[in-house]
Parts: sequence; C-alpha cells; structure tokens
Amino acid sequence: MPTSVRIPVQLRTLTGGQEVITGTGGSVLEIIEDIDRQYPGLKDRICESEGKVRRFVNIFLNEEDIRFLENLQTAVTEKDELSIIPAIAGG
Amino acid sequence: MSDLPPRYSRQVLFAEIGTAGQKRLLGSRVVIVGCGALGTVQAEALTRAGIGRLRLIDRDFIEESNLQRQTLFTEEDVREGLPKAVAARRRLQAINASVAVEDRVEDLNYRNAESLVEGADCILDGTDNFEARFLLNDLSQKRRIPWIYGAAVGSQGLTMTIVPGRTPCLRCVFESPPPPGTTPTCDTAGVLAPAVNLVASLQVAEALKILSGRLERINRSLVSLDVWQNTWRRLEIQSGLAGGDCPACHLGRYDFLEGERESSTAILCGRDSVQINQPSGQPLDFPQLGHRLELLGSVSYNRFLLRFRLKEFEIAVFPDGRGIVKGTRDPQEARSLYSRYIGN
Repeated sequence: MPTSVRIPVQLRTLTGGQEVITGTGGSVLEIIEDIDRQYPGLKDRICESEGKVRRFVNIFLNEEDIRFLENLQTAVTEKDELSIIPAIAGG
Repeated sequence: MSDLPPRYSRQVLFAEIGTAGQKRLLGSRVVIVGCGALGTVQAEALTRAGIGRLRLIDRDFIEESNLQRQTLFTEEDVREGLPKAVAARRRLQAINASVAVEDRVEDLNYRNAESLVEGADCILDGTDNFEARFLLNDLSQKRRIPWIYGAAVGSQGLTMTIVPGRTPCLRCVFESPPPPGTTPTCDTAGVLAPAVNLVASLQVAEALKILSGRLERINRSLVSLDVWQNTWRRLEIQSGLAGGDCPACHLGRYDFLEGERESSTAILCGRDSVQINQPSGQPLDFPQLGHRLELLGSVSYNRFLLRFRLKEFEIAVFPDGRGIVKGTRDPQEARSLYSRYIGN
C-alpha cells in the first residue's frame, strides 16, 4: 500500500493537476524518489541538489514537520500522509 | 458596560473580551501592511471592532480587477484612480469615525520600516510578496511586536501568529524566500475571495486575542487551508531551524532589516524604465515562467532574456532575476509590477 502525498498548487502542473498522489517507500526520501519517477521534476522542486529540502518548502508527516523528526530519513508507513507546504506569497 | 458605546455590545457580551477587553481594544494601535484583499478585510473588521488607532500602509492604486475581492473599494474609487490606502481610510471613517485611521501611501522597506511600526501593539500582514513578509518578521523580532502572517493564492491560504518570545517565527518555518519567478502570485494564478477572506478573518481573530490581552488563546500552529479542495490542516511548528538556531529569533540577526537582502531599484535615465535588482540565487526557469505569463500578455524568451508585454508595460527579466520594467519611471510602480508578475 503506497503512502498519500498532498501536492500544493505550485507543483500540480507536474502531476497533471492532481492534488493527492501516492508513492511507495519506507522513508520520506524514498517516497519523494518514487513520486519523482512517476512525475519527473517533482524532486527538483522539493529538494536542493545536495538532497536537502529547499529552504522555502516544508514537508509535514501527518501534522509534524519532518525537520524535527529524522528529516528525509523519517520512517513512513502506508497509514501516514505527507504534505508538501511551500510558503505562499499572495494577498 | 454602561460607559462603553452600545455599538460594541455584542463583542462585550462575549465573556473573554468583556468590558476590560473592549477597553484594551479601544486603546490599541494596529498597523496593517498592504491594503489588498487581506488588508481591506482586516481593516474593516478591526475598525468595526473598535481599535484605537489604525495605520494603513500601501504603495498601490485601485484597479478594476481588485473589486472582486478587495471589500472596501467601489467602482467610483477606480474611476477616481485613488491610492488604496486613501480610499480605504475614507470608507473606514464612514464605518466608525471614532477610530483614528491614518493612510500612508508608501512602499515598506528596510529604511522606513522601523518608523512606520513605531508604537504598534500588533502588525497584520496584508502584503503580496515574500520580501515584505521577511522584513516584517525581522521587524517584529527586533521591536518585540507581534505580527500575524497570512497569505493566499488560488483557493489556498496559510496563516501563522508570531509573538516574539512566545512562538516560533516565520524564519523558523520558512528559512528564506523562494527565488523570484518560482511561485504563483494572485496576478498569475488568480485568487478566490473566500480564500483570502478566510485567512484575513483568522488573522483578525488572532489580533483580537492579542489586543484584548488573551495571549494564552493564540493559535500556535501553521494553518493551511484550501476552500476548493476542502482541506483545513493545523501543522505543528517548532522554534529554530532543525539542528540549529533561527537567525532571526534565536541569533538576533535581522538580515532583511539590514537591507542586505533587499533588491535595489534604479531608474534608468532617459529610457522610461526602472531596473529591479533582485538576486534570485538560482537561474530563472524561463519556459515555466513563460507558460504562466502567456495567458496574461505576450511573452517571448531566449536563453538570455524573457520579455513580457502587458498593456503599456514591458517587463524584461534576466536569468539572474534582474529585471527592467519599461513604460514607467516610478520605482514603486515598477517594483509592484515585478512583484505581481515575476514574483517576490
């Protein structure tokens, strides 16, 4: 069973407009790599080249910020939900 | 309740505000930065709630496309070509003459920011760009003034309450702004009135708690909502960057207030153009930016330059984020066009 990943409006051009996609893997990084295989370009919009999460993007595992868990190595199960939350500018 | 104006009776009946809370509200000073969709909703609600003094800061003029969501403005304001802050003040004074409303038609920047928020009990974010928000965050930390971040685009919104010394700050959550040209703005992706109204209303509720002395009631999460996808989430946030200190609220380094991060703007003599120097950190993605802008005007690009033409203006941007806005000699107008279409 894959894990659900919520995609923000900024990245939906890469997912064909889908707001929720699924990825398979045991950690946040493995799931990001899996969704990048399905929707090429996603990883580059989420992570810097060194494999760190971009500084204006946050990833939440359920309600928790992964930076305060094990970051990209945080373990994920199929019951979890990942949300990618970039800063928003409008107003 | 007898010595309070009857117009506030329903708010005074609300037990946690009461007479004491209303008296604190009546003596409070608020600064709203940005008088667009967020700012107009905030300003109207706080004026009706009976704050003491309100300073409205905005650099723009009203346009017809604002009327769909910017609740204080009318068709007559568009015809008169009024600055937003001025039109908003007129309307607010008609709503509640006992609130001292001051309009400031200015661009908030690191040079004037500290004097513009002098004496404020709370700052509300009604801006439309990251640069201003990171500046407000530094300002809030340095001057120990609470501020309420809020933003919306499309059907999505985000908000977070920052009380120096009590909550994480914006840089604990988002360490730095995204490079220009990488995020949608209301002028490129559109925005729904209910999304901004909801965010603005949450910001007003937070302001009422802070101003009436109920700090223990503030929201300590990052709220992320989407009125079209039917989602509403409270995300837990923590103080500091993972594995390190937050530059602003832990180390007291106010990068945005020191002007080091601010883009510079220069009028190009004799060319009816303004140059915007906005280092982007990473090369702009022209195909992606072009794709977004081609719905709004004409776009052409090559490896070196992207040109976007809209009415009498043309914005040319280089891969490093530097831009030239043609068709104006007004740095504020140029800055505003750049923020709206290129982002940040």
